[in-house]
Amino acid sequence: MAPEKNHQQPNRKPEHIRRVNRIVQSRTFILMLILGVAAFIALFFKLYHLQIRQHEELQEKAVTQQTRSTVVTASRGTIYDRSGNIMAISATAETVFLSPKEISEALSDQKTTWTKEFVASHLAQILGVDEATILEKMDRTYSQYEIIKLRADEDVANEVRQFINDNDVSGVYLVTDAKRYYPYGTLASQVIGFVGTDNSGLYGVEAEYEDQLKGQTGMVVTEKNAAGTDVLYQYEQYYDAKNGDNVVLTLDSTVQYYLEKGMEEMVDQFNPANGATGVVLDVTTGGVLGMASFPNYDLNNPSAIYSQKIKATIDQLPADQQPAALSDAQLKQWRNKALNDTYEPGSTFKVLTLAAALDEGVINMDTTFDCSGSITVQGATIHCSNTAGHGHETLVQTVGNSCNPAFITYGLRLGNEKFYDYMQSFGLMDGSGIDLSGEATGIFMDPADFSELDLACYAFGQNFNVTPIALIAAQAACVNGGYLRTPYVVDQVLDSDGNVVKQHDNTPVRQVISEDTSAKVRECLEYVVAQGTGKNGQVSGYRVGGKTGTADKGQTGDVVVSFLCFAPANDPKVMMLITMDTPARDTGTYVSGGNMVAPTSSKIMSEILPYLGVEAEYTAAELLGADATVPNVVGSSLEDAKTKMQNIGFTCKVIGNGDTVTDQTPVGGSIIPGKSTIVLYAGTTKPDTPCTVPDLVGRTASEANTLLTNTGLILKVSGATNGDSSTVHVLSQSEAAGTQVAAGSVVTVQLGDTSVKD
Amino acid sequence: MMKKHAAPTQRAPQTRTLDKNREKPAIGRMDLPFLLLVLALTVIGLIMLFSASFPSAYYESGDAAYYVKRQGIFAVLGLVAMFAVSKVNYQRWRGAAKILLALAFFLLILVLVPHVGVTRNNATRWLGFGNLTFQPSEIAKLAVIVFFADSISKKRDKMKSFREGVLPYMVILGLLAILMLLEPHLSGTILIVGVGVVMMIVGGIKAWLVAAGVGGIGAVGVLFVKLVESGGISYGAGRILMWKDPWVDASGDGYQLCQGLIAIGSGGLLGVGLGKSRQKFLYLPEEHNDYIFAIVCEELGLIGATIIMLLFALLILRGFWIALHARDRFGTLMVVGITTLIAVQTFLNIAVVTGLLPTTGISLPFFSYGGTALALQLTEMGIILSVSRQMPAIRAG
Repeated sequence: MAPEKNHQQPNRKPEHIRRVNRIVQSRTFILMLILGVAAFIALFFKLYHLQIRQHEELQEKAVTQQTRSTVVTASRGTIYDRSGNIMAISATAETVFLSPKEISEALSDQKTTWTKEFVASHLAQILGVDEATILEKMDRTYSQYEIIKLRADEDVANEVRQFINDNDVSGVYLVTDAKRYYPYGTLASQVIGFVGTDNSGLYGVEAEYEDQLKGQTGMVVTEKNAAGTDVLYQYEQYYDAKNGDNVVLTLDSTVQYYLEKGMEEMVDQFNPANGATGVVLDVTTGGVLGMASFPNYDLNNPSAIYSQKIKATIDQLPADQQPAALSDAQLKQWRNKALNDTYEPGSTFKVLTLAAALDEGVINMDTTFDCSGSITVQGATIHCSNTAGHGHETLVQTVGNSCNPAFITYGLRLGNEKFYDYMQSFGLMDGSGIDLSGEATGIFMDPADFSELDLACYAFGQNFNVTPIALIAAQAACVNGGYLRTPYVVDQVLDSDGNVVKQHDNTPVRQVISEDTSAKVRECLEYVVAQGTGKNGQVSGYRVGGKTGTADKGQTGDVVVSFLCFAPANDPKVMMLITMDTPARDTGTYVSGGNMVAPTSSKIMSEILPYLGVEAEYTAAELLGADATVPNVVGSSLEDAKTKMQNIGFTCKVIGNGDTVTDQTPVGGSIIPGKSTIVLYAGTTKPDTPCTVPDLVGRTASEANTLLTNTGLILKVSGATNGDSSTVHVLSQSEAAGTQVAAGSVVTVQLGDTSVKD
Repeated sequence: MMKKHAAPTQRAPQTRTLDKNREKPAIGRMDLPFLLLVLALTVIGLIMLFSASFPSAYYESGDAAYYVKRQGIFAVLGLVAMFAVSKVNYQRWRGAAKILLALAFFLLILVLVPHVGVTRNNATRWLGFGNLTFQPSEIAKLAVIVFFADSISKKRDKMKSFREGVLPYMVILGLLAILMLLEPHLSGTILIVGVGVVMMIVGGIKAWLVAAGVGGIGAVGVLFVKLVESGGISYGAGRILMWKDPWVDASGDGYQLCQGLIAIGSGGLLGVGLGKSRQKFLYLPEEHNDYIFAIVCEELGLIGATIIMLLFALLILRGFWIALHARDRFGTLMVVGITTLIAVQTFLNIAVVTGLLPTTGISLPFFSYGGTALALQLTEMGIILSVSRQMPAIRAG
């Protein structure tokens, strides 16, 4: 009304009315400002504070309660061997889980036709799970996630899915997951290692390269309402999983196979109380070609005790002792003894003493030594293995005889400080640095307390502990020109597209001894195998160097027997160290590295070397024994056939009175040792009955040959072939005595000199 | 507004005698900006109600549109009523003032009679049956506004006297407050007493009374909060403490406020998008009712929420503008009362949802679910429009 007043007669209303109106107007105006402006400004600032300043904080709270994130496991990287064979791979599997909360909600709905028991019994049947366990999990109605079966195979998962659909069951879910498979089972189990239930590596390469292999876990975020079920509309957000990198090992599955096969036989034969371990090293790079430990286990079922002997022992224990024994046996079979355990190396360590002494010039190739059978250092008498004494020896003979007094003398000539320096320089003190977890460090005396007597013992490899891997790395440096390289098992890490992410650098850590010294060491060690205690390590066709070892384990009377070898001796490519801890004394074999380990080493090397493409160099004598192909002479005249066979080197034995060859054993095309005897049938029918393999163990080579030929079988020898000497006997045979085999089959025998002493 | 339809109507006596030619009782067009604002808020309110309510509607009844359908029907009825009322000469409400007040008292007593009133959440505030209920307090609000406007506009400067200008109104408000607190209905009481007091103030009571009143209410409020904080009193303590920091019991007493704050905060500047609120999926209780504004903030962000607040602000400003330009004090006071009611309700609702003030159950006009309330609000808008039709031609340009 106020404006009206201004336009019209101002004095129309009484003063008191106008005053009242003014008050109404002005108070309304103030109210307008308060309720229409000030109030909204206050609200705006409050909103601004909540929606802009506190936005992230509150949004985080919102996302946390509104979403359910399901983890998408990244595919774990594959582990390949040197030639691309798959050692470990992840495959899709599905985990079955329940939402007890949803199940109980569904059950309270009258439309639901199924019961808890119905679902539980069917799931139990499909998945092979205990029904009571499922029911128990269903009762945890507050929970939305109870795993029923971890990583079921695809076909089982499909059955579950079918069951869910057929019966309209709710609250049972499947999520894709990954399951780790190890195609080779037990092969290189301790090197590769295995993964836990959460798919993270627990042992070996799986553990050491966890970060590379695991990849980046992805997520699917789905929205849920306050009741925990999915919202009406689909809201899903994916965060891609990044697959893990692949790992390429230096390990060669074939080399590994030969190593394990040979060692398994050895372990079965000598039954070592504390297992055995072997390492095959590429001496030019430091790459581990093979690494085995016994007892071993199946990577696909790591908890099961793989060794039947150990399993039987545990089963015989009283029930209350079994769990402890079981877990102890599990831990033992998971151990990679080549690097988790240390031992007193014994005589194989003499390689290092020899190298150091030669390198320092305190001895040379012309050094001689007179062994009386013992030596006294600081009042203590230390015996040689040959207590009668080796008498006058040249340097190579001291090595060949593994003469303790000689090596003690070489050590003492070096002096405490130099000797200690060399051990450090060979990397024994710090461990090898191999890329596997849990490497033990050697145990050595403090240099301050390192007495002359200690030095004397160290010189032949006693009174200190090293890991086999650290020792072989140092020994490799002794023969490869002096270069110490870090041993390694992973050569490359590749991303999922195959790009090299990481390449191992095999640059030597240092040169410990000179090339010249290294050559001299090789010469001495070749002599060990050719003439000395390492005779049983001979491999026909190859120049092999090596060193035996039989080390006392303190004063217990137990020993660790070992054999080190490398080939070719003039230009080493591979080196192998096999140790066996506490072999049984009742096997009939003299307990020493030369008798127990060297024959196995020979067998393994004879398979590894050709496989690795190392050319065999046969001597004339060996050439006669080389394999040859049998020509087919059926139908030709007896005379022609004989000539043909003899020209190749075969001997012929004729059965029957005819002039024409009607049949032959072995048949044409067979590849057999060149010195074998071929049976020619002239007019007589070849008997098709199988032959029984005779017992050859303990026979000389010629006795074995006669026995086999008479039976109709072919002999092939391996091992210490360069002796027709009466001390060389058959140690083992490829076909067990009493086995029925086809006529003309080849039986390989391992020959060995049973008289050698380390 | 131009005066197009000059038609005789009831006028104030002095106008009748003094007006010679132009001062005919003017029935002009209703105020278009105000009408558009009302329509805009009604439509936006319905849209937001649908968005906010469909999850709980779906989970409760299986029909996602259950709430919005009902609300829509009442909106249409309300709009029809609004247009009808806007055509009625608002002077006629004078005659209805005493009847309305009597009716309000009757209904407020009736609701307290056992088995007559409908009880929900321990409060007996509703009359009616089944799904069709209404709150007598809604009638009481209108009754107070109409009665106070009629009475105060007649008293002129007698308002300055305590006995004439304050006492009778305090008695009426006091009786109403007692009846409503018996339900109990604190928020309704606050609104009615608030609007009544505002009308008394605007009507011209002594300035020192205004100052003493405002100061007294403020002092009591502050004292109450302080006492609660110091543990001196326990009544309403939960509400005050939760208002101070709802997160200490985010899953218990502070749940609703926290969920509201989460909804508002997660909206950010631009919001998660219309219809895309996640908090409405059973997280936020009363999401289609007292807390609908939290969903608005979540879906439309600070920008959307500000635009809606701006529409409310404009409606309120325009309302007061109409009050200032009303033909007489009765019109002014009625429009002030109604606009104040809408304004206080809007402010209190948003302030509660955002945690600016302690929790009271006040719904947001045009947005919150509640058919009779919406229809009544639109009817009240009709009264304002009716007043706007009689504004004298004052625009100079």
